[in-house]
Amino acid sequence: MVLILNDLDNVAVALEECKEGEQTTVKTKSGEFYDIQILTDIPYCHKCALKDIKKGELIIKYGQPIGIATTDISKGEVVGVHNIEGLRGRGDLKS
Amino acid sequence: MEFLGYVRDNGEVGVRNYVLIIPSCRVANIAAKRIGSYVPGTKTIITTGEVGRHSRDRERLANIYMGLAKNPNVYATIVLGARDDFGYKEVLPEKIANGIKDNGKPVSILTIEECGGLERLIEEGIAKAREYVHDASLVKRQLVPISKLQIGVKCGWSDATSGISGNPAFGFAADKIIDEGGTVLFSETVELIGAEEEVVKRCVNPEDGKRLLEMVKAVENSAKQTGEDIRSINPIPSNIKAGISTIEEKSLGAVQKAGSRPINGVLEYAQRPEGNGLYFMDGWASAYSLPVSLAAAGCQITLYQLGGQDLPKNDPPMLAVNTGVVAPLMFVTGNPSTAKKAPRSIDYSSGGVITGEKTLEEVGEELFSKIISIACGELAKGETVDYMDPIEPYFLGPVF
Repeated sequence: MVLILNDLDNVAVALEECKEGEQTTVKTKSGEFYDIQILTDIPYCHKCALKDIKKGELIIKYGQPIGIATTDISKGEVVGVHNIEGLRGRGDLKS
Repeated sequence: MEFLGYVRDNGEVGVRNYVLIIPSCRVANIAAKRIGSYVPGTKTIITTGEVGRHSRDRERLANIYMGLAKNPNVYATIVLGARDDFGYKEVLPEKIANGIKDNGKPVSILTIEECGGLERLIEEGIAKAREYVHDASLVKRQLVPISKLQIGVKCGWSDATSGISGNPAFGFAADKIIDEGGTVLFSETVELIGAEEEVVKRCVNPEDGKRLLEMVKAVENSAKQTGEDIRSINPIPSNIKAGISTIEEKSLGAVQKAGSRPINGVLEYAQRPEGNGLYFMDGWASAYSLPVSLAAAGCQITLYQLGGQDLPKNDPPMLAVNTGVVAPLMFVTGNPSTAKKAPRSIDYSSGGVITGEKTLEEVGEELFSKIISIACGELAKGETVDYMDPIEPYFLGPVF
């Protein structure tokens, strides 16, 4: 199962390990359920894209931006440091 | 609602009843350690010292010493020094002792020169500590209102459960403590980056909101000056392995430990709040640094809310052991697998929210009860080992 923390979110948290190719349940903030096709393995506690996200689009969790996509991400794919980056505290970028 | 505590002459209430030994300079560390190991019921720190630090950092160190001594869990304090006029003015033994006396608790100064050498100081220190420890034992626990309780919280080893079950459970308990008239401090300025907007809205005084934003900006600017992406530093590797990808994501989970009540004030590092309710304190998130700072700001209990998904198996020690010095350091988690991995160290698990067995309200109530029980004398599991990790005051630097 993956859990949505806020209705505005485009990612959900895996409450158990999800395997590539399986269907898993999405639980919404208001306690409704629907199914999602998992495209890549998603370890426990990691994030799952709830829709297709374009490179440069904001990643929303807790209803707030947590970063930006560094590549196109497909619905059902694992979301992590390999495909998103933060917008704050970026000493590596020239301002 | 009430708890059983040690009522001090100044009206404050301890949940423990210690004698504190402060080495006001590094040469007194040996003596502090020896006296502390000879006399049960004492607590001490080993200081890394003030040498080569600018006055603001020396004041921070002095505030840690004086704050710990003023903590309601301390019955009396012995300040150790090399000589009355040895070193920087901020940490002279007399200056530290005077700062403590304001609080109306017994305090003694012993110096190596005056005692006639290190060994003589240790001997006199042991005699004084034994006297104080015995005097302290005459104070009995009494029922007092929860308004006398001040709890400091940090979170760490974060994972996704931190923002779902762990920090929200503490947030619920924090609301309850505040509604009973008590006080809660949260901190970790770096972990407001990306979550500051909602926190600022909760500041009762708009000036506090401005100061809070300045504190966050200062930390973010110093992070940028490293020339690194902050996520190569914080979130730490264990956070990233457990699914946290950016500082913003970590922050949004972290601030949930602050519950939902208004923020009555924004405190400088190790500063004690003047009233009750919820406060933010500027501070460094390190587990070796924050608990001692919260204790110096008057918290009788410090609490570490951990995710812990990346925790090694087989009951590993926690990330910090007893770094609240005079304030018990509780460990609680919202991750059911963490609770299973470290039963000897975890005081409470709100992991039932993740497994669907419990509601946030239920775990919040249970955590509140556990905090009160530890206030009444139940040992935090960390207190069952006679060891304290090094403490690191939050210095601004640079050093010279």
